[in-house]
Amino acid sequence: METYLWITSVWGVYLALAVFIVGIALRIYQWATTPKSPVRLGMFPKPATKSGRFFKMLKDTLIAPHSAKIEPTMWIFSMIFHVAALAAFVGHLRILGEYPILPELLGGEHAMNNFAAYAGSIAGTLMLIGVVFWIARRTFGPYKNLSVPEDYLLLALLFGVIIMGDHLRFVYGGFIHADTYQEWFKSLLAFKPMFPEKLLSGNVGWSLGTHMLFTDLLLMYFPFSKLVHTIGSFAANYVRSE
Amino acid sequence: MEKVQIETLTGVIDKKMNRQLKQYIDICARCAICKDACHQYVGTGDFKYLPARRAELIRQIYKKYFDKAGRFVPALYEAREPDDNLLDELYDSTYACTGCRRCMFYCPFSIDTAWILSVAKAILIAAGRGNEMLGQLADAAIFKGDNAAMFEGVMLSGFEDISEEVRAITGNPEHKVHVNKEGADILYVALAGAHSIRPAAVIFEEAGESWTISMFEAANYGFFYGDTEKARLITKRYIDEAKRLGVKEIVVPECGHAYRVAEFFYEAWSKEPMPFKVSHILEKVDDYIKSGRITVDRDKIEGKVTYHDPCQLGRNGGKFEQPRDIVKAVTSNFVDLTPNRAEQWCCGGGGGIVAMEEFKDVRLKSGAKKVEQLKASGASVLACPCENCRLQIEELNDVHGLGLEIWQVIDLVVAAMPLPGNQESATPGGEDAEA
Repeated sequence: METYLWITSVWGVYLALAVFIVGIALRIYQWATTPKSPVRLGMFPKPATKSGRFFKMLKDTLIAPHSAKIEPTMWIFSMIFHVAALAAFVGHLRILGEYPILPELLGGEHAMNNFAAYAGSIAGTLMLIGVVFWIARRTFGPYKNLSVPEDYLLLALLFGVIIMGDHLRFVYGGFIHADTYQEWFKSLLAFKPMFPEKLLSGNVGWSLGTHMLFTDLLLMYFPFSKLVHTIGSFAANYVRSE
Repeated sequence: MEKVQIETLTGVIDKKMNRQLKQYIDICARCAICKDACHQYVGTGDFKYLPARRAELIRQIYKKYFDKAGRFVPALYEAREPDDNLLDELYDSTYACTGCRRCMFYCPFSIDTAWILSVAKAILIAAGRGNEMLGQLADAAIFKGDNAAMFEGVMLSGFEDISEEVRAITGNPEHKVHVNKEGADILYVALAGAHSIRPAAVIFEEAGESWTISMFEAANYGFFYGDTEKARLITKRYIDEAKRLGVKEIVVPECGHAYRVAEFFYEAWSKEPMPFKVSHILEKVDDYIKSGRITVDRDKIEGKVTYHDPCQLGRNGGKFEQPRDIVKAVTSNFVDLTPNRAEQWCCGGGGGIVAMEEFKDVRLKSGAKKVEQLKASGASVLACPCENCRLQIEELNDVHGLGLEIWQVIDLVVAAMPLPGNQESATPGGEDAEA
């Protein structure tokens, strides 16, 4: 198990982060160095001012009101996924260090861990619901015809990440908290990788290792997949009101 | 497919490549939200008309030749070479597209499928598969530009006939279609056919406008065909004319794509700033009515009146309110279609599709949503600016027995003006249309 952990949760993480960062940088460099479309591609109605355009871009990207109007079901499930993913991301930041003020506000470390358990469980469940909806949607009709292997690969990776994340949350969430993961992750950042005892006990390592395996693969594939819409959608929506 | 031919096609993509295109191809998540936005997909249920699918074909070629990940694992992206199967489907889905950009309106990333299809058209042309009809119409327009003198006699006598009609309508012996008038404020670039000149001339003359008519038409089949060089040459005909006459402003007719070409595309094609202000004729007419330069009597026209936003004028041109204000000035019984303005359903007749007989079936089927909207409005009169829209809706009107009276907006205006002889010649739909 320790070998598995070293592969997935040490060397895998280093490799994944390197590929992710370089890949994304290359993608952005490619976009930035390709000449702009000679034609103004905007459509109407569009704001007259630069700040108006900027806020419309934020609104269109973060809320997608037009998409909500035409396909509310897809919009709801997509919103569920994206908002939950954001919440999960924010929650994961605890492995870098405890949030300031928040634990005191909630009434101590124990309460903070309790809150994280609830919030994490909800976010993890909602993300799972979103991904299952997307998988189901791609199994029939025009959605199936339009799908390419890339779509299924990404959904499979996401499913793996989420299922194993939920597993860690629901099975070990009662006694392994952020501080334990923090020890491991900070050791990675300090380039002195180690695993705290708690992570090596029982089968915890297998779960964490698998969660990290899927995460590594997802991160490495991210820059070469349609997931770059996380960045590109801002630019494309800005062009809408050009 | 032979290597040389593939190199030609990928060369086209390379030449057309720009940041927006790259981003569109990279970020499309194939979520298919565009599915229900497209009147052709909704009307036919045919997978090849799903907007993301149309773009997907270009992406498959792009991934194969331009993307490292696509070259490394082509199967993952279904990357493939542009074989006959691909080009056949690309031809159908590309030339059928009316360029209404309704899919872009609803796309969470605002992906401009029509822009991706402009590359598709360039590929098809390079592969010798450009639409023949559109290509011929474009070439004919360029020929006319190169040999203007040859057509001048016919044009001048045509303008003389229209001047007669204008005088009969306004009752003013001074009124006429001004030709080659140097130093005029406005160059009016009409469509081929008296229907787009006569009512405009009546309005300009009554408003006391300083104007002159162009010897060329505003329609641009080079744009529909997908050859930007041809499209540029066609537009350049009247730009050069405007420079020669020293006008201040170019006014395009009700035609939707003519406005978009002049206002949004010409600068990019010619790589020089547009030296004139470009206005749509309905902007001018709205201004004349509001400033009292012409008067219209309300409710001369009977029945409930509705208005169709042509995509190139509304969603893609930003002229939502001026045409409506004009229609509301001539009737108090106005009803909007639902949805309208930016969300307006494309009628199915744009992008040059009315000129391509082979797409007649999909064109008529794709009008289903428009028919539904028109029926639901309960209107008996339709004001519809764009010529392509009008041709399509007139056909839908016949096929579905809608019993609508379909008018150009400027015809409605002339009919509502207190003029001695407007009744005889202001006919709905510009029945004397030649093209």
